[in-house]
Amino acid sequence: MEGVIFNIQRFSIHDGPGARTIVFFKGCNLKCKWCHNPESLSSKGEIEFYPERCIGCGACFKVCPYGAHELDENKVHIINRIKCDGCLLCTDTCYANALVAVGSKVDSDYLLKSILTDEIYYKNSSGGVTFSGGECMLQIDFLSEILIKCKDRGIHTAVDTAGNVPWSYFEKIMNVTDLFLYDVKAADTNRHKQLTGVNNELILQNLRKLSEIGKRIHVRIPFIVGCNDDQIEEIAEILKPLNIEKVEVLSYHKLGNSKYTSLGIKNELLGIQVPTEEMVDRAITILKSNGLNAEKS
Amino acid sequence: MLNTDKVIFSDLYSQRINQLHEDKLKINEVKMKQIGHLDFDDWGFIYYPDFKFEAKPNHPSGIVYGSVAIGEHLRRFFNEIPKYINKNSALAGAWVGPLQNYISIGIVPEDQPNELLEVWKKYDTRPGFGAMNHCAGDITIGLKLGWGGILNKIRYYREFNSPSNADFYDGEEHVVLGMQEWIVSLAKEARKMAEMEIQENTRTNLLEIAEMNEWLVNNPPRTLREACQFIAHFQTLDRTYFVGGALDQLDEALRPFYEKDISEGILTDEQAVWYVASMFFNDTHYSQIAGLTPDGSRDMTSRMSFIILDAMHYLHIPINLALRVHDKVNPVLLKRSLEYTMEDGTGVDYSCNIGCEQGYVKNGMPLQLARMRAKVGCNWTALPGREYPLQDVTRCNLGFALYYALQDIKQGERSMDFLFERFCYHTKAIVDSIKAGYDKHYEVMGRNKPEMVYNLFMHGPIERGLNCSEGGVDILNFNIDAVALATVADSFAALEQRIVNEKRITWDELFETLDNNYEGAENIKLMMKNIKRLGSPDSLAENWGVKIRDYYVWCCKHEGTPKHHLPIIPGMFSHGTVGELGSKLPATPNGRKAGEPISHSNEPDPGFALGINTFSPTLKANAVALLQPGYGNSAPLQLDIDVDMISKEGGIDALVSLIHTHNQMGGTLINLNCLTKKTLLEAHEDPQKHPDLIVRVTGYSAFFASLSKEYRQQIVDRYLFL
Repeated sequence: MEGVIFNIQRFSIHDGPGARTIVFFKGCNLKCKWCHNPESLSSKGEIEFYPERCIGCGACFKVCPYGAHELDENKVHIINRIKCDGCLLCTDTCYANALVAVGSKVDSDYLLKSILTDEIYYKNSSGGVTFSGGECMLQIDFLSEILIKCKDRGIHTAVDTAGNVPWSYFEKIMNVTDLFLYDVKAADTNRHKQLTGVNNELILQNLRKLSEIGKRIHVRIPFIVGCNDDQIEEIAEILKPLNIEKVEVLSYHKLGNSKYTSLGIKNELLGIQVPTEEMVDRAITILKSNGLNAEKS
Repeated sequence: MLNTDKVIFSDLYSQRINQLHEDKLKINEVKMKQIGHLDFDDWGFIYYPDFKFEAKPNHPSGIVYGSVAIGEHLRRFFNEIPKYINKNSALAGAWVGPLQNYISIGIVPEDQPNELLEVWKKYDTRPGFGAMNHCAGDITIGLKLGWGGILNKIRYYREFNSPSNADFYDGEEHVVLGMQEWIVSLAKEARKMAEMEIQENTRTNLLEIAEMNEWLVNNPPRTLREACQFIAHFQTLDRTYFVGGALDQLDEALRPFYEKDISEGILTDEQAVWYVASMFFNDTHYSQIAGLTPDGSRDMTSRMSFIILDAMHYLHIPINLALRVHDKVNPVLLKRSLEYTMEDGTGVDYSCNIGCEQGYVKNGMPLQLARMRAKVGCNWTALPGREYPLQDVTRCNLGFALYYALQDIKQGERSMDFLFERFCYHTKAIVDSIKAGYDKHYEVMGRNKPEMVYNLFMHGPIERGLNCSEGGVDILNFNIDAVALATVADSFAALEQRIVNEKRITWDELFETLDNNYEGAENIKLMMKNIKRLGSPDSLAENWGVKIRDYYVWCCKHEGTPKHHLPIIPGMFSHGTVGELGSKLPATPNGRKAGEPISHSNEPDPGFALGINTFSPTLKANAVALLQPGYGNSAPLQLDIDVDMISKEGGIDALVSLIHTHNQMGGTLINLNCLTKKTLLEAHEDPQKHPDLIVRVTGYSAFFASLSKEYRQQIVDRYLFL
């Protein structure tokens, strides 16, 4: 079975215990305003365009069946995203890496082989593999297949999810997932919809069920000034009665901003403030005062 | 129970060590103003621009050669050099520059390998013929005998052996006498300074220095301080003669003195740190701590290991200390070293026991002996006192083998098989020419440029009256280092992918593009460059890397040198000279233009990670482990980690796992920098913004500010592609 991923990142210590390989799945059913992986939103292949790398060879013009590559009035190369069909032929001819295809179809054997490259690191650090995205659970059959293969090899598995999927998806992977990294972005459902495009009832329902079953859960709260920084107390109230091993507060950062430009997507939070250390510390204090094991990430 | 606590300092010792740090910065500032950039080790010499020394050549060509003439010059040199004593140091003495800055020491014309010059020039080979040191002495010989005992040993064996030509012994005698005369003057200088000193603690220190040196003129060290002083004198002598830099398993050499002094109540840990820091201030010789005992039963880490590590950390100058990693290494020592690295930007490097030891036994050596092979050079290991490996002085430039192979197929069959066949032909030609040079080296070095210093600290030369390069020691293993592996592997892969598989370009088009140095062919250059390169999983380049490595290793190992059958051990190390090694190499099919740097050692070129596999230290580490030559000589892994990546909890544990994994995968050496990109880029733009930023360039440490822009750029390039 094949799945669509867009990145394999090794030796991460930020997404679960030990040194880990993170596999980023393409496609998401949320649209968080602060998303720093905008290339994860669409499930289809996309083109990142870096005009500063373009050498003007014209190979992409020649090969594009849709005429999506144009010169603007200043004779600068641009992509017409409306005309672009996503066939990605141009990326194959761009040796300058000005046009980069995002999203690759891989089968589970290939992915397992890739994951096993770092097997000794997992053993030496009590690490493993984390499946993330996007929303990896949207490709539930592929995810289930690769999780089974990883567990057969004794690799620790973690799934990083926003939780906005049917409970049956969780049931499919329950026995082969050692740890859930679970995003909680807002307490109030209307605020949640405003920030991510969806309500949070299903998300919280799934979280409660996971907790009841006794699965290991690390909750992750993306901390965005002016968006959800006033929601921490309510989030703490929601999490308090649950079986949550750890709560991580993830500060907003601007590292993903250039990706929006390269994908031709509007960045709704351009110019937003990065939270200060004090702001994050305050959030952690609130969470800890509710009996939660909270830390910065 | 081993005491693993960090040493706590009183004001006195804290100030002394801090002042040594400040003095080091000032000394380096003077050197840079006068000499320019210091791209090699941060040597501990003190610059005396007005010091002059007269050469007395003993050959019509104007060179000084042979044991007696060199010994006489060394003796006179030490009598004439300024007597340096730093009041904040526990020790006296400093070297002022290598002797060959003042006199020309050489090999007589009739002993030169003229028949090999042409082939070396053709392939831009660094043949190693005539190179000096790159072996290690056993410092415990000196610690047990002292200079007086070494002198007695020389005289005893000169009489016992009664050679018809006693030049060997006469020269060595001059060296030791010169050291003794110098130490006498240092003691006098210390007394003179003490008489003029008004500060009580400093005065006491100077008097102690004087007494200590008076004792050490003839006698072996009795205390840790005296041992450190003896080693400092050794370092001074060693550096003076052809910049020798190898020390020993330092913690074990000093442990007996430390333990005795502690048991007698005459030493505190902060004093011990100060003594070792003073020794590091004297010079940045290469030494090792930790490692398995020869029988493999336990780790050698002791309290002394922690003292040495603390001395490195608190002095905070470039220090070339290695930690031998193995599965039983003391976890506190390993973690402490990483904490210091994260705090200081760099620290020890990590010598991996599996690659080094299990590789070495494949040369027919017992594992017990292999365990004793310590990391005592910038990239390399040697058996202190017992081996003459002539490490790190050769470069077999695989890039030139490829260049000539391409010229060959222009005229003949254009295929990957034929190209590889011709590549092998030229690689073998290079290796064979180095081997032939080694035969000559073996024959002539003893009578021209003997190892005047290491002969004194090796087991055998004095006893036999033979230079260590010609049978003075029992183990001769000549090293050959290949370079440009990634440049060549990527080139082969690019040719296979773009010409053979994808047919995007023809052979003729490729040849024309290379001959024109990619001028007007930017798209072809990028096409050849941006393939899945060495380091990327499932790359053609990886397969080629293995194939090239296998053949190169076979060239080295399948037979010894042609005349004397001396064994060869392959390594892969470029040092920081990738720019120089690439300067004469024409354009290569991996998108590299003529004159541009080649790749480092056996590492992937920066920027290799493309597509879905983003860069990570493990990708690089895996490639380096896979491509080890495999016979115990090093091919180092240079890890430049953005400290923001590992600053959270668990970061050090992740680094520990990285180090252990690379060891378990057969790696040999890890050089580690942990900096923020911000700091590095700031320092690159204006080095004086971070004057005491220390980095590991390759296997050696240096102040970033003292490196040339080209060397700084190498380090920045490695970080930029994270």
